Amino acid sequence: MPQLRDSGDHGATRQFGMSPQFEGFARIFGVETEYGVSVTGAGQPVDAAQVAMMMFQPVVSRARSTNTYLVNGSRLYLDVGSHPEYATAEARDPMDALAQDLAGELVMTRLAVQAQHRLRERYGDGVAVHLFKNNADSAGHSFGCHENYLVRRYVPLETVEHQLLPFLITRQLYTGAGRVVGDRFEITQRADFLDEAVSSATTRSRPMVNTRDEPHADPDEFRRLHVIIGDSNRSQWATWMKLAVTHLVLCVIEESARLGVPSGLECCALADPGEANRAVSRDLTCRTALLRLADADGLRRAVRAVDDDDASSISPLSGDTAVTALALQRYYLAVVRRFMREHASAMDAAMPATTATRIVAEWQTVLDSLEHGDTAALASRVDWAAKRRLFDALRRRDPGIAAAQLERLDMDYHDIVNGRLYPSLVARGVMTTLLDDASIKRAAETAPADTRAALRGAFVARALERGSRFSCDWTRLTLGGDAHTEAVLIDPFDSESTPEYRRLMDLL
Amino acid sequence: MPQQFMHAQNEATNQQDDQSHETVLAHDTAAVQDDALDAVLDDIESTLETNAEDYVNSFVQKGGE
Repeated sequence: MPQLRDSGDHGATRQFGMSPQFEGFARIFGVETEYGVSVTGAGQPVDAAQVAMMMFQPVVSRARSTNTYLVNGSRLYLDVGSHPEYATAEARDPMDALAQDLAGELVMTRLAVQAQHRLRERYGDGVAVHLFKNNADSAGHSFGCHENYLVRRYVPLETVEHQLLPFLITRQLYTGAGRVVGDRFEITQRADFLDEAVSSATTRSRPMVNTRDEPHADPDEFRRLHVIIGDSNRSQWATWMKLAVTHLVLCVIEESARLGVPSGLECCALADPGEANRAVSRDLTCRTALLRLADADGLRRAVRAVDDDDASSISPLSGDTAVTALALQRYYLAVVRRFMREHASAMDAAMPATTATRIVAEWQTVLDSLEHGDTAALASRVDWAAKRRLFDALRRRDPGIAAAQLERLDMDYHDIVNGRLYPSLVARGVMTTLLDDASIKRAAETAPADTRAALRGAFVARALERGSRFSCDWTRLTLGGDAHTEAVLIDPFDSESTPEYRRLMDLL
Repeated sequence: MPQQFMHAQNEATNQQDDQSHETVLAHDTAAVQDDALDAVLDDIESTLETNAEDYVNSFVQKGGE
């Protein structure tokens, strides 16, 4: 992977000419999910890549490409020999991003069911197409669920690595999807597959986080933070939390970079992030594994200064150079809370549907649940805890149950087409959901109204209606055919039509 | 206590929050959860009857990020 170009940091805010969202805490959220594909019941092996192509056949015949954008502004993509991928339309709120992510499940499921129907015609009714919203197949290949956050330009990549990465590694306590590995169980899906060390995101081939050259926004204002270390979640709460809590931490980091003052998160840097990541993944108590700090004294001093009720549980003992994942999360929470004393209103103003207070309350609750080992509370929200609780119950019922059965159920949990386990957990009230089916269906049909996606979605809808040839990318809408015309939409926050856009729409 | 938490949460969040999203913050007792868990185990029994190895081994796919 080539070195990332860094076009330079802007230390001070240019007041003149910046978009309205450059100040404040507005955020664009995105989630890209790669899905795994398999077929059972055909009486012979069926190649995953072929099934994926079959799934995308309706898309290809309509778009003349395996890369297309949908009426809800999202992107549907199949790379040759690779995984079907869905990238959510731009959202200003974690709840909207969640709705879009779930809309992606719906869109993918519909395509898979069509393919399944055709395969049944060929191979019989026993055929099932499985679409796995997870991160590992049975042979050790890994694939991802990546988050995107628009971050202000003046935050250096190194700052993100040192201050955000420890948060990303430890948030897995509640965002991890869990995985059966032979006789063991891990909290995360991906820890075994991510690079050993993250000394620099610019040089590693598979780093945990990096920034993209193309922010799909004004590069003088924003960069796009691409978070690779994250599991694909079935839990709606977990998807929402991933985005929401990361956003809060980014607010703190951005403001400190903007003002040129410490954020309080400098001391969170880990001595060995890769090692810490694996340690977190393997510690099912969530309270035992110690993560070595790059600056333990710094953290101790910072904890004393944070003036928080939970501070006593955070501080590494004198002489220690390590801290538990839970303690580190508590420290991040304490810093965010302190930050909110001054900035809560501005943060709330930036998100249309969610408040910082609500996010912090959920964060507090889950950390307390982890602290107290409240299995039932965790299992209702946290994917790995839900799986583990179910597997424990299964073993109680059948002490001799084969490891392969648990591996299978682990996969079934992520099968959005034919999986039984997760729908049952929801139907029986064991697992929490945040959005109802109607909201999800709406998100599949309509783009978020308050971002550039609204313009893209409307364009796609009309082009499809008219049967016109069109193409898009994140910043551009193109009408093909004789009337080859384009509209450029550089600002992801802007849902207002431009003259260029109106001209394009009039041509349809 | 869960119920207090839910009420405090509703006061803190704005109206649009409550109206536009269903948030289940309910926190069932352990006993109720256990019954529900048993029901889930019953639901997935038929899943366990088919060959697990075949299912697992059928999922091999390269080419991810």
